[in-house]
Amino acid sequence: VTEVAPRARALLAEEQFRMLVESVRDYAIFLLDPRGHVQSWNEGARAIKGYEPEEIIGRHISVFYTPEARDAGRPQELLQLAVEQGRAEEEGWRVRRDGTRFWADVVITSAHDASGQLLGFTKVTRDLTDRRKMEEERLRLVQADEAVRLRDEFLSIASHELKTPLTALQLQLQMAHDSVQLIDDRQAMRLAKAMRAGDRLADLIEALLDVSRIATGKLTLNLEEMELADAVHEVADRVRDGVVRAGSELRINPNGMLRGRWDRLRVEQVMMNFLSNALKYAPGTPIEVTLSRDDKTAVVEVRDHGPGLPPEDLDRVFGRFERASDPGLGGLGLGLYITRQIAEAHGGSVTVRNETSGGACFTLRLPLL
Amino acid sequence: MTVGSLSRTSPVLIVDDDIDVRESFSDALESRGFTVLTASNGELALVLLRTLPSPPGVILLDLMMPVMDGYHFLEACRKDPALAEIPVAVISAGHAVDQSRLTNASLVLRKPLRAEALVGAVLELQSQTRRAG
Repeated sequence: VTEVAPRARALLAEEQFRMLVESVRDYAIFLLDPRGHVQSWNEGARAIKGYEPEEIIGRHISVFYTPEARDAGRPQELLQLAVEQGRAEEEGWRVRRDGTRFWADVVITSAHDASGQLLGFTKVTRDLTDRRKMEEERLRLVQADEAVRLRDEFLSIASHELKTPLTALQLQLQMAHDSVQLIDDRQAMRLAKAMRAGDRLADLIEALLDVSRIATGKLTLNLEEMELADAVHEVADRVRDGVVRAGSELRINPNGMLRGRWDRLRVEQVMMNFLSNALKYAPGTPIEVTLSRDDKTAVVEVRDHGPGLPPEDLDRVFGRFERASDPGLGGLGLGLYITRQIAEAHGGSVTVRNETSGGACFTLRLPLL
Repeated sequence: MTVGSLSRTSPVLIVDDDIDVRESFSDALESRGFTVLTASNGELALVLLRTLPSPPGVILLDLMMPVMDGYHFLEACRKDPALAEIPVAVISAGHAVDQSRLTNASLVLRKPLRAEALVGAVLELQSQTRRAG
């Protein structure tokens, strides 16, 4: 009895240890013979690698490696390292039974008998795919932040470099204009034209900066509580000269209060774009701006009495770099694209239709308070 | 320098690194009777402000400048009791203005701008000083 008891205890301990290893789910823990063939298989190995014990026992560990790692002799290399140093560890891609890859942390430990003869290896593998994905995601976010920062820096410098000389140019033109206005009509007219060209240049710079901004992310809005009619009247004031020059007439039909939390400058930008378009494509015709409420939405319609849009243009005028088919009318075709981005950033929309009685009607919808 | 009935009280300090902008602002304001001082960055503006016997009535400030930009200039003014009360209009050509760093700027204008807007800003700031005084 005294001889048997320690041996029975040892067997029991060995059995308990085997059961413990077999039940581990988070780690694949298994034995390899000296040549690298699988000798045992636990629950974790089955869960991580997808093989049943009877499918895998006896097969070489190279089945767990990617073809590239196999071709490079990586399995043998790791076993050799474990023999020489007692232990080999690496993180790398491994292949499951179904062919999918996972990111593994692998530790191979060699086992020797008292005489130093290699008995085999234990191999412990952890699936770190989720952790790696999280790290990749984190890296992606860091890179995205960096891209936004670089974009903002570029926009800031481009804006500054383009607008600074334009500021001096515009002011000098204006002063030259003002000083000759009373004595030389023709010179004053030429200088007024130059100033209008400068205004267009300023608008184009803004548009290009907006498009660069939109291309790399959303427009940021400075929301404030505001009255829609205020923005419409403000823009109407600004286009007054243009209306006179185009021989048009601007009628505004405000219908009660339409309050919302919007970006004032951006809303004015949309209105300016609609009105400039009407003046450009339908000169000499009346332009009607009508404000109304549609349940929880504020609606502004800008209607002209020009030729309307060619039917094929109706669907694409809000796309980037599109403009109505007549190439003689100039412009980069950015304005309507930007209006759509502005409306959508507010949770609203822009649309266009041809009226049956003639003319185009552009509509801006914005959510009310 | 313009004096007498045309004078629009204390001078306007223009802080901008671009010489064409400084001269254009000066021309536009001087032709309307204002007295103008200029500095090409925030640091030179501070030196000028601390040497003048009496402070300018209004400061027109660019944001992006070498040596000391507009944001740091505003910060320095906030910390100096002798300068903290001078009204400032920021006139920026930048695409994004960090409003949180402009707490002591009374007005923010965008370049390019018309002479009327420039003069309007100066008059607006002068009237604020008069009300406050």
